[in-house]
Amino acid sequence: MKISNILVQEAVILDLESKDKDGALVEMANVLAATEPSLNAEKLVSVLRERESLQSTGMGEGVAIPHGRIANLNQLLVAFARSRKGVDFDSIDGQPTHLFFVLVVPESSGGQHLKALARISRFLRDETFRESLLEAETCEEIVQAIQAEDARF
Amino acid sequence: MTAAEYEQAFVVGAEHGLHARPAGQFVTLAAEYKSEVLVSRGDEWVNGDSVLSLLSLAASPGTTLRIRAVGVDAEDAVRRLGLLIEGRES
Repeated sequence: MKISNILVQEAVILDLESKDKDGALVEMANVLAATEPSLNAEKLVSVLRERESLQSTGMGEGVAIPHGRIANLNQLLVAFARSRKGVDFDSIDGQPTHLFFVLVVPESSGGQHLKALARISRFLRDETFRESLLEAETCEEIVQAIQAEDARF
Repeated sequence: MTAAEYEQAFVVGAEHGLHARPAGQFVTLAAEYKSEVLVSRGDEWVNGDSVLSLLSLAASPGTTLRIRAVGVDAEDAVRRLGLLIEGRES
């Protein structure tokens, strides 16, 4: 599974406008839903909110991976967003979140979900990769950085 | 006090495997102990204090993970974290 095969450039946000958690979720859901006609933005927001209410997906180290399952989705979808100023995402280490990968999977895909989550986490645990995402000047550079990471594993 | 070391293998029993929520619970629980905690799947060892590192192991149900702790409360830490891995403590 290559993340760069799933992530389209239109689903990359170079700098989030929102400064708060809910605003960031809405902004990311809108951008991802715009790339997939079968995906309803409001439905996606409610799924992501519900998941966050169980436990924040702010994993620490400046990273969050908001995720959820959507019925009748054909394939796994990924969005990326960055916040230069950082968002208070109730992360496990209490630090602001700068890098976001949104992961949406079809209702019925058990193993695929864990594999995608694992792959994104493997990339993000590497400080050099996180820095390359933080320093990217354009959406193209972000996509390129993810492609380069995909090629390593 | 001398630092003890304790290690034990556990089979992932949590319904969906070691996904985001149990990984977060693991990190929070590990922080309650003084010992340093490491987790491995096969030859790869990762820090037990990082959700991203734990998730990167892609531990689906039935996967065997080893937990190693080094410190004064190593055995307690491994046993309690093992219950969480097995899905017997949330």
